Amino acid sequence: MLEVDKDRARHAVQPQHAFLVTLKVNGEEHRLNVDARTTLLDALRDRLHLTGTKKGCGLGQCGACTIIVDGRRVVSCLTLAVMNQGKEITTIEGLANGALHPVQQAFIEHDAFQCGYCTPGQIMSAVGLIQEGRTRSDDEIRENMSGNLCRCGAYTNIVDAIKDAIAHGLDPREAMTQAVEAIAQDAGREA
Amino acid sequence: MTDPMPGLTGPRARHGSTLGQPLTRRDGVLKVTGAARYAADNHPPGMLYAVLAVSRVARGRVTFLDVEAARAVPGVVEVMTHANAPRLATDPDEKTNPFAFRLNVLQSDRVRFPNQPIAVVIAETLEAATEGAERLAPRFDEEPARAALDDGEVFTPAVVGAGSPADVAHGEVEAGLGAASHRVEATYDTPAQYHNTMETHAVVAAWDGNRLSLDLPSQALAMTQMRLGQLLGIMPGDIHIRSPFLGGGFGSKAGVSGPQLLGIMAARLLGRPVKLVLSREQAFGPVGHRAPTRQTLRLGADGEGRLTALHHHTRTATSSFDDFYEAASGASHSLYASPAIRTSHDAVRLDTGTPTFMRAPGEAPGSLALECAMDEMAEACGMDPLAFRLANYAEVEPMTGRPFSSKALRECYEQGAARFGWAGRPLAPRQMRDEAGLLVGWGMGTATFPALMFQGQARAVIRADGTGLMETGAHDMGQGAWTALAQVAADGLGLPIDAVEFRAGSSDLPDAGIAGGSAHMATAGMAVHEAAAAAIARLADLATGDERSPLFGAGNAGVVARDGRLVRRDDESRHESYADILARAGVAEIEGRGRAARDPAAGADYAMHAHGAVFAEVKVDPELGQIRATRLVGAFAVGRVINPRLVQSQLYGGMIWGLSFALHEKAVVDRRSGRVMNANLGEYHVPVNADVPPMEAILVEEHDPYVNALGIKGVGEIGITGSAGAIANAVRHATGTRVRSFPIGLADLLA
Amino acid sequence: MRYFQPATLDEALAIRRGNDVVPLAGATDVYPARAGRRAWGDPTHKDVLDLSRIEALRGIEDRGDHVRIGALATWTDLIRADLPPLFDGMKRAAREVGGVQVQNRGTVVGNACTASPAGDGIPNLLALDAAFEIEGPSPRLVPAEAFFTGYRATACGPHDIVAAIRIPKREGRGHFVKLGARRYLVISIAMVAAALETDAAGRIVSARIAVGACSAAAGRLPLLEAALPGAPLTDAPALVEPRHLAHLTPIDDIRASAGYRMAAALALVGDALADLSRPAARVA
Repeated sequence: MLEVDKDRARHAVQPQHAFLVTLKVNGEEHRLNVDARTTLLDALRDRLHLTGTKKGCGLGQCGACTIIVDGRRVVSCLTLAVMNQGKEITTIEGLANGALHPVQQAFIEHDAFQCGYCTPGQIMSAVGLIQEGRTRSDDEIRENMSGNLCRCGAYTNIVDAIKDAIAHGLDPREAMTQAVEAIAQDAGREA
Repeated sequence: MTDPMPGLTGPRARHGSTLGQPLTRRDGVLKVTGAARYAADNHPPGMLYAVLAVSRVARGRVTFLDVEAARAVPGVVEVMTHANAPRLATDPDEKTNPFAFRLNVLQSDRVRFPNQPIAVVIAETLEAATEGAERLAPRFDEEPARAALDDGEVFTPAVVGAGSPADVAHGEVEAGLGAASHRVEATYDTPAQYHNTMETHAVVAAWDGNRLSLDLPSQALAMTQMRLGQLLGIMPGDIHIRSPFLGGGFGSKAGVSGPQLLGIMAARLLGRPVKLVLSREQAFGPVGHRAPTRQTLRLGADGEGRLTALHHHTRTATSSFDDFYEAASGASHSLYASPAIRTSHDAVRLDTGTPTFMRAPGEAPGSLALECAMDEMAEACGMDPLAFRLANYAEVEPMTGRPFSSKALRECYEQGAARFGWAGRPLAPRQMRDEAGLLVGWGMGTATFPALMFQGQARAVIRADGTGLMETGAHDMGQGAWTALAQVAADGLGLPIDAVEFRAGSSDLPDAGIAGGSAHMATAGMAVHEAAAAAIARLADLATGDERSPLFGAGNAGVVARDGRLVRRDDESRHESYADILARAGVAEIEGRGRAARDPAAGADYAMHAHGAVFAEVKVDPELGQIRATRLVGAFAVGRVINPRLVQSQLYGGMIWGLSFALHEKAVVDRRSGRVMNANLGEYHVPVNADVPPMEAILVEEHDPYVNALGIKGVGEIGITGSAGAIANAVRHATGTRVRSFPIGLADLLA
Repeated sequence: MRYFQPATLDEALAIRRGNDVVPLAGATDVYPARAGRRAWGDPTHKDVLDLSRIEALRGIEDRGDHVRIGALATWTDLIRADLPPLFDGMKRAAREVGGVQVQNRGTVVGNACTASPAGDGIPNLLALDAAFEIEGPSPRLVPAEAFFTGYRATACGPHDIVAAIRIPKREGRGHFVKLGARRYLVISIAMVAAALETDAAGRIVSARIAVGACSAAAGRLPLLEAALPGAPLTDAPALVEPRHLAHLTPIDDIRASAGYRMAAALALVGDALADLSRPAARVA
């Protein structure tokens, strides 16, 4: 068992209410002051004005706020902004690079959304799913897309869109790379 | 009905027209890139955040709010309570029209339902406002809650639904029941349901003097503008509402809600823009829901399996302070032939928020009960459910004797049954199992929804460069209005779709009517169609009246609008471009105005309904009672289809709502406190992706010359009807157990 | 709200001693719990102790005789870890926790510490004889059965931090089945975790079976565990009797009635044993 180092414990970190954090979003670094209570979702939406990521419940029960952090899809409403310093954060705004990402294109072609509110979360989740390689059957896709609710009922078309994106040569291992490269190029253009 | 513009309508294929084409959504790129801007995505300079505090009691008075504690939170700017909220120009309890629901906006300390707003905390940040709201620590003088259908005094409302009579009868129901060889009497319970749009109700409000600018998701821009003008004491024209996209509506965004009005009041109080967004749990109360129902059906049938009588009675609930009655019995008005039909309703008042229109209001629970009762009667008659429905096929609207404007239901039955493979269905229940030992059942239901139409307007412009503009204050909550209306506009203007600028979703455009009743495409579509026709007619006047034009003398009826040119009908070599016509006339642009409304004569002479047939397969675990829908096939006759890709999505969505109605959705109300115990998306179950089976929606061809010139019937709601019943009937067929309380739960199927 | 983000466990323990803080690892349970209390007018204003920067708490490690799951190891880490068949049930449970987005952040240890009767990870920890490494004023190793002390209650004291869970490595296979009212994103109505060891002849050597969501805290089935050894694995489902579950005390709630829960738990135990008697299914 770990030994408690009594000396070090005396130099306890001081609590903070507000933090100056650096968030790396879609390849770009943003320095901002956040409240300790600020969720990553609210920081993205209210502070960085990246409003493509949606709030549907604030409790991790709907998936509308799904983004990708360090290569994994997560719900941004259940994580504090301050916990995500230095991590690679990708939002829906970072996915397209001039041309749409294959998953975005497939969503349009298969009418995989109606009102569009859950769509950014569905797409980010789909990109994560394809990278995870959990797309070997319709059932596997359905199961692993079940963290994203769609009240309009576009589920069937979402499954078709994901299959189509894969069929049209989106290599699972490249799903994320493609997104990350797009971001890098965007960042380069702006610089 | 006269054709408003011969040569521009009709089923004839026209070069370049996109009507009937499965175009992808024109707002697709915005939606898949996160660029589509919903109300809460707006952030005007100087904006404050408002967070509601809501009541945890169902009835009583607010006796204490720790306003000082809330104000002490750094960043909190103001706390708005009943003590300091701005008074309104019109009492929000005044019923200015039947659809103006009474609003609870801090005009008194009275609490009338759980989750009623009791204060608004406004702060520089969302976090501060949230913490401020938590610090209010409210106390209440609490009165007992009336929470269930048995808790109130029963009365008969004057009208139900959108204004239908509560009790309607045709023929002698009791005599018909008395003479019947088979009788079924059964009672079905459906729960309270909440819309749960993925986007909760939101508003961003900014005042400039007496002018008000709003980002507010709305299914009824003009109505909302009018109501807000009355409440706030300003001119409706001084209110600008932007609502380009709704994150779902389903009926809950048809008017301004209390919380949204509170956001507007807070902005007024503080003189700064304010954003207010409901949390998910706060959306269970002040923004409407579908009321619970208890429906009793009494059916009689003769020895041949023909109905002799049908009585559909609904008990439902409204709030203690307002009136909306789920018109579930209406589903029995027009679907099955019977010499005697009675539909009746009564109600109780409960301490809930006021119920409202929710996708297929009345029809959704009513169809479920009716389709189950029809199956129970088919079984009593020893008949196949489809054969029984065909034996009771209504050739004319049963209660009125009016002919149907069109009705391809027989084709729906045929095509749906063939696709599903219904013919192999064993008559008796509990006969089929799959390889894993699960019980398998097949069920069906008839879908129907009235083909409604409201009033709407549009404005068309043809510009000097030959391009077009179409303006109508239409609403896109996911149906695809941005795309399908643009298709109608392009078709009417005789232009490629990319040559038409289409504007919608804003209150400064012509009133497109409400997006509800599955009538938006018919209403706004016809307004667009008429506006285009008017513009083309004026353009044709310019050309055919000018001897320098190759079209001179052709007369209005003699030209066709096609690909940006008017073409002489009797001589296609003679044509002229819009740009040339306008240039020669020295006109910068011409305008056409269009109005849409149902032709009153056709509306009186014909019964107008869309129809469909849904077939479902379910599998049930015999030990656990776990139910899975495994296959859904629907066939729908919905008149003219402008865009089959979008229509299919609407039908799928409706069918999933039917699945949800039958197996998932239920607000669990605590009988003592009146509170919804599962006011979150983790426990208020809507289907997840893995709950949804492979589905098909067949579009059955149907031409209707009477509903409107475009032949559109509407598709937004019909998918729920039929589907819920089909699944419930499949569960019965799988297990032999008839469950009459919805949603059907795991435990209901364990003997 | 105050927020602490220490870099070492020692610092974290010092903070825990001096402040009323809620430790937070993946944060996926803490926020819904807060919102739930707020909804009923009972907000919590506890300060937050963020453990996520403490490297020593990361990872899943094979330590020869046991596997150590650090306090920051996520459900996805568990799913991806190369572990023997004994852990198959835990992996199955991991895939049932929320959506994948929650599995990517939620932690195995955090789920145990919130000690919900419906916590998806808990029956497995009981069935696998897990032990909790508790750091604090008196560092100790607490077996799972002693760790879960009641409804949302554990042996982790106000000054303690659970640093890891240790699971002894044994022969045998684990399995997990869960029943909910929809396919995913669902709170369990009942769930069963089982770990069975068999001999070369296919006879059960040892059985450890736990049921969740059917009592204030998840619990083992000692009568059934005693009845199974010696029996052929294929006979196991038939040996399950209602009396083996008689000590469970399920409740009526909005998800199911007590009676249904009991019946479902009985069926699920049979299902779990039947699944284990078939060749190993792929778990990934």
